[in-house]
Amino acid sequence: MAPHASINTQDIADKARRDLLQLLEGVRGKKNLVIEKALAGPVGLFVKFSTLQEYGVDRVFFLENDNVDSSQRNVIFLSRAEKAKQAQSIAGQIKRLRRTGSTDHEFSVFWVPRRTLVCDQILEEAGVLGEVNALEFPVYFVPLEKDVLSLELDDSFSDLYLRKDPASMFLAARALMLLQQSHGLFPRILGKGDNAKRLADLLTRMRSEQDVTSSADSSAGSIPSRLGLTPSMAIDSLIIIDREIDLPTVLLTQLTYEGLIDEVFTVQNNQAEVDSSIVGAPPSQNTSSSSKDASQPSKTSALKRKIQLDSSDKLYAQLRDTNFAIVGGLLSKVARRLQADYESRHKANQTTSELRDFVAKLPGYQAEQASLKVHTSLAEEIMKHTRSDLFSRVLEVQQNLAAGSDPSIMHDNIEELIARDCPLTAVLRLLCLESCIANGLRPKDLDIFKRSILHAYGHQHLLTFAALEKIGLLTARTTSAAGYLLPTAGSGGGAAGGGPRVTNYNAVRKTLKLIVDEVNESDPNDIAYVFSGYAPLSVRLVQAVIQKTALAQSSSATRGLAATAPPASAAGTASQGWTGFESALASIRGATVDETQVGSSKDAMRARSVLAGGGGAGQEKTTVVFFLGGVTFAEIAALRFVAAREEGRRRIVVATTGIVAGDRVVGAAIEKRGFGAS
Amino acid sequence: MSKPTADWERVGDRFYRKIQLYTAVFDQDLELENYVVVGAPYSGAVAIYRDEDKLQAYRGTQAAKSSIDLYSCAGKLIRRINWDKGSIRGLGWSEDEKLLVVTNDGVVRCYYDLQGDFIPFTLGHGSEEHGVKACRFWSSGFVALLGNNQLVSVSRYDEPRPKLLATPPADEIVSWALIPPAYTLSRSVEVLLAIGQTIHVVDASECEDRMLQNGPFKHISVSPNGKFVALYTDDAKVWVISSDFQNRLSEYDSKVKTPPKDMQWCGNNSVVLAWEDEVHMVGPNGAASKYYYNSWVHLIADFDGIRLLTNDVCEFLQKVPDVTEETFRLGSTSPASVLLDAVDQLEKKSPKADDNIQLIRPNLDEAVDICVKAAGHEYNIHWQKQLLKAASFGKSVLDLYNSDDFVDMCENLRVLNAVRFYEIGLPLSYEQYLRLTPESLVQRLLNRCEYLLALRVSEYLRLPTNKIYVHWASQKVRISNEDEESICRLIVQKLKGKRGISFGEIARAAYDEGRGRLATELLNYEPQAGKQVPLLLNMEEDSIALDKAIESGDTDLVFHVLLHLKKKLPLASLFRTINSRPMAVALVESSAMDQDWELLKDLYYQDDRRLDGSNLLLAEALAQTETTPKIEKLRMAAKLLQDSRENAFQVKAIDEEQRLLRMQDAFDKDLADQHNRFAGLSVNETMFRLIKMGSAKRAQRVVSEFKVPEKTYWWVRLRALVAKRDWHELEELSKTRKSAIGWEPFFEEILGAGNAKLASTFIPKCTTLPPAERIEMWVKCGLLVRAGEEALKAKDMNSLEVLRTKATGSAVHEIDRLMAQLAPNKR
Repeated sequence: MAPHASINTQDIADKARRDLLQLLEGVRGKKNLVIEKALAGPVGLFVKFSTLQEYGVDRVFFLENDNVDSSQRNVIFLSRAEKAKQAQSIAGQIKRLRRTGSTDHEFSVFWVPRRTLVCDQILEEAGVLGEVNALEFPVYFVPLEKDVLSLELDDSFSDLYLRKDPASMFLAARALMLLQQSHGLFPRILGKGDNAKRLADLLTRMRSEQDVTSSADSSAGSIPSRLGLTPSMAIDSLIIIDREIDLPTVLLTQLTYEGLIDEVFTVQNNQAEVDSSIVGAPPSQNTSSSSKDASQPSKTSALKRKIQLDSSDKLYAQLRDTNFAIVGGLLSKVARRLQADYESRHKANQTTSELRDFVAKLPGYQAEQASLKVHTSLAEEIMKHTRSDLFSRVLEVQQNLAAGSDPSIMHDNIEELIARDCPLTAVLRLLCLESCIANGLRPKDLDIFKRSILHAYGHQHLLTFAALEKIGLLTARTTSAAGYLLPTAGSGGGAAGGGPRVTNYNAVRKTLKLIVDEVNESDPNDIAYVFSGYAPLSVRLVQAVIQKTALAQSSSATRGLAATAPPASAAGTASQGWTGFESALASIRGATVDETQVGSSKDAMRARSVLAGGGGAGQEKTTVVFFLGGVTFAEIAALRFVAAREEGRRRIVVATTGIVAGDRVVGAAIEKRGFGAS
Repeated sequence: MSKPTADWERVGDRFYRKIQLYTAVFDQDLELENYVVVGAPYSGAVAIYRDEDKLQAYRGTQAAKSSIDLYSCAGKLIRRINWDKGSIRGLGWSEDEKLLVVTNDGVVRCYYDLQGDFIPFTLGHGSEEHGVKACRFWSSGFVALLGNNQLVSVSRYDEPRPKLLATPPADEIVSWALIPPAYTLSRSVEVLLAIGQTIHVVDASECEDRMLQNGPFKHISVSPNGKFVALYTDDAKVWVISSDFQNRLSEYDSKVKTPPKDMQWCGNNSVVLAWEDEVHMVGPNGAASKYYYNSWVHLIADFDGIRLLTNDVCEFLQKVPDVTEETFRLGSTSPASVLLDAVDQLEKKSPKADDNIQLIRPNLDEAVDICVKAAGHEYNIHWQKQLLKAASFGKSVLDLYNSDDFVDMCENLRVLNAVRFYEIGLPLSYEQYLRLTPESLVQRLLNRCEYLLALRVSEYLRLPTNKIYVHWASQKVRISNEDEESICRLIVQKLKGKRGISFGEIARAAYDEGRGRLATELLNYEPQAGKQVPLLLNMEEDSIALDKAIESGDTDLVFHVLLHLKKKLPLASLFRTINSRPMAVALVESSAMDQDWELLKDLYYQDDRRLDGSNLLLAEALAQTETTPKIEKLRMAAKLLQDSRENAFQVKAIDEEQRLLRMQDAFDKDLADQHNRFAGLSVNETMFRLIKMGSAKRAQRVVSEFKVPEKTYWWVRLRALVAKRDWHELEELSKTRKSAIGWEPFFEEILGAGNAKLASTFIPKCTTLPPAERIEMWVKCGLLVRAGEEALKAKDMNSLEVLRTKATGSAVHEIDRLMAQLAPNKR
């Protein structure tokens, strides 16, 4: 009798699909759908284009293209509502259609995930609010995998850290509240980073407000959920990781298969667009996803092929989280097995029943074979990339910086990369990495690098530097920040703010054992395998909560801790919070969050604990790890590795504002325009 | 106790009953025949106003003042709305008891509570010029007929969007009705217009003639479920047809010369015709029953029956529900009726009770169910009790019975009896109660300010009570004469400790009433920051509103406040307001970055953020297309930073770019090439292209102008020459004594470009590399013998052996020879 079901991502996808289809059904007859580009991908994750067609969608346009026509009377806009830009675009297009179109259009706007006052105001100012049927499409988390939930906010990183616009934090808080409403309160909220603190505060605030809202909304007929006010039985804690506290992990090149696909081809909404010369033309029946935009058969679709990357592809599920070094071996093993299976038909053609069994398996073989073909070509292409001189140079610099060797040795290398016109993102990643780990570059070095980059890539990157500095990725080491050598000074000064301003990597590297020298890539024994020797700080923090003993044992510097920390039983760990790793946390920048959420009614709590008393201990608990500002595939792989170790006792669900990779993080700052004429 | 069947009447093969709900409804002086009477669905309030078309006795000035009066079904005046706003052309109710008043000029007033507060909106679509002729309402919307026969529909009242329906013919409309959108195929409202001989069906997109010949139809009425249409023909006949106009179901000849003044459906299976004091009820197959009154009678249709209203009585006419008929019909031998009888016997202490039970033993659970349901349909408390007793007796005999239905019914009946009481005047039938939902019932009680009963009902049915408190407090704020402090104290004291109270709403009520100070005080108790914002903005407490919006964390609210402030305040004071609030500044910056750079410039100027200001100018320079304005913008950007030391680097860089642009301009003029302009390239790219174009001298000028480091220049030169495939020039370079970047890059790049021969010439120059790498380099060029020689020099036997395996043809012998050379030395 557990009132809170554990998180099932499929349910979330189902609900989103139902909601959307219901909204579409509300608009009678055929309709044209105008969708914001950034939403097309997430929507594609839970509903197929053919299904939309069944619900009367005639053609799909992109909002950004501004090309919707009057072919249908009903026009539906599907757009996010947090930014003014989309609303202005919608208002403009409605006005255009009204002016030029001969038909009397019916306009509907589905705001995702909520209707905002600002968008109403903009439509009103444009004089179109009166004829727009505005509805909400409340989709927050979109499941990417069984254990990965994402808000799929592409701009969340730049919004949060460059523009300091907390809109995505608010949406994240809403999304987490929804989780709490259906699964119960997170019994404990842990987190690291100033924004994590803000998010946790927002959650607390929303919870206190929940009372009022839920009962105020009950006029609409929904009964206020009383379940939402008691701590969950299925979830044991929420761990919020602010991206800001662990930027180096993003900047390093990911070395898992999935991570490298992302680095080389970019994965968006579980899809990678790959040149068809690499993977071959798409099979003929694959028209559903690629012809999203039916109105303009884009030329790119002829050259690019979209490859679905998720666990429905069994082979990919095996490969995705492994270190790329062993992918080749795994692929050839699978190839040999397939070969053998296929050969077995010669032996098996004796009796008809054996033959029938074989034929029944055939479709499976074919799918597997197709997937093998795709992944072999992908791996080959990535191999080309990893074998290149530039790649190994970059990797060398990265590994050295991460390991904490004197950065100035690497400077010549970086200078050379600049002179060789290596992609700007790669160079900036290296410089930012150095700056993050060493808390800024020496002002003199910084100026030299800036000059070389301006010379090599153009002076417009003065703006890039300004942005990078604002994010805190690339800074000059100031005299006050040099106090990182004395962590006490940092933490003392930041005591009011709740944590030091900068991370002392020298200390953290030891206490959390970020560098693992012997990594076994084929049979990993530590999360460090995802970066071939570097363990992501963010995941180490998660381990500090749920795998204390494992971490303490592997960490030589905290050898004493294994004795002091009580033996970690499955039920006990979560309630300990950060215990045992306070000193490590103190040397990481930003505030530390540790809150316990108790239900509003004590009696219910007691009753619940009595009920759960017997069977509760052996139950599998879920830990939600929320990455504010984005997560990399390598980190997901590392967390899956952690979860595999905890199998049976604990599930880890990764939630995030979006998937990030180094190129995109740095790219958020890069000025795209040049001084050219056009 | 009279039998329940006393007020039954047989029409055709069905029974109908007419229940007297209330007596002495209206004042005898009220000339009901001169009034328009409309009732809200689900036995809601009744609105009456004097029909302007009818003559009225002159009674002095006082009575001449017109008003819309809202009564309960029991004739209790709830509210009098004084009316001086023009001629009323439509009066109707929505499902949630909103009163809609449509005037001739197309203005609709939506009275959302029964207390006289309203929200107006206009119909538009030419209603001002042509005027509104009439309106027809359904549960959540209405259609207005304009003077030019156009039809305007409104389908919701929270955000009304009047829509024009398809254009019908311009001929005179005899009568009309509508089919609610929920019951049409198109899901849009359909309007039936009787024009001439026929009927036109109009929906959002088209107007279709149904080609009937028997018109003109004096009355049209659509059944509550939208499936049937009743038509009253010119020759006094009633036709019932299906609403798709395919089947004619029944016909009735009223034989009355004058057409009835009203025709309505009673439930879904009979039609009621009303003349001044005579009512005909036409059941299926044309069977009819007639009722006579001694005063004017009005019809108020509901979905499961019809209310008949005269000065004296309010009656409810409906088909006897099946369960009730089964239980009470004379001579019924159904299990339920036997069970009811058993209870009777039990009270008489007769053993027959047990006989009865044994008789229906196999169907006992069914009998219990029916008794429970029949109790629900019963208005008479005595019979309710009797039926529940029977059910209770029956279920005590059963071994296993789920009593949930029984318990629910007891609770529901208690609530129903309470609200049917004449002082409340909500004669809900059980069916209506189920459809209305208990929550809406509580809302109706609130609209009537029946707080105590609402509270009792909510507590009894375990519904949230917070809204009741908020409504009470808002009302208190509106009408109380006490001073503000004591009101506030009273409210806070009463609502303290109650969960989910929205003080924001109460404060809003206080503010609307003009009690600003009270509103502020009350607002302090509101736990939700976001809820306070709109009111604070109204109260012009801008900075508090901004703080609260920031506190709520909702960026949308913050934006909302900021937009409001931007419109209201001069820029300087806007900046002053947001200055101390980093989140507000960030949001203004972020949105201005997309839309309004001028605002951003002002912001940076005011805050003296020169670097940001300069960067903005830089961005503007990027947006320019011509070189001259570009340089001008850059000059401004640099000027902004000139006097600060820490920005020296920035100034220098901007300066450099200006020089570069000028230089590139010159290059573009000299080496006129329309497709490959220099403008916009970086320093390195400029050099690259110049070298590639064979203009090394100019490249040198760039080097000296921008003090390009030697290493960089070498790299650029190397890449450019390789890209140009200028092998000759590279060979020349190889003759130079020293390279700033060593010779290895030359080897790599040239080999990468496919010229192994030339690449190999650089191998001997890579003296700093270990021999093993040099061997590897030779191999890469395919020169195994040279690799062998290298190995020999390094005395590396292993490498030689490896090379030996790779070698083919004559190279094998060569390597053998080399190995032989090395081997003896070893020995």
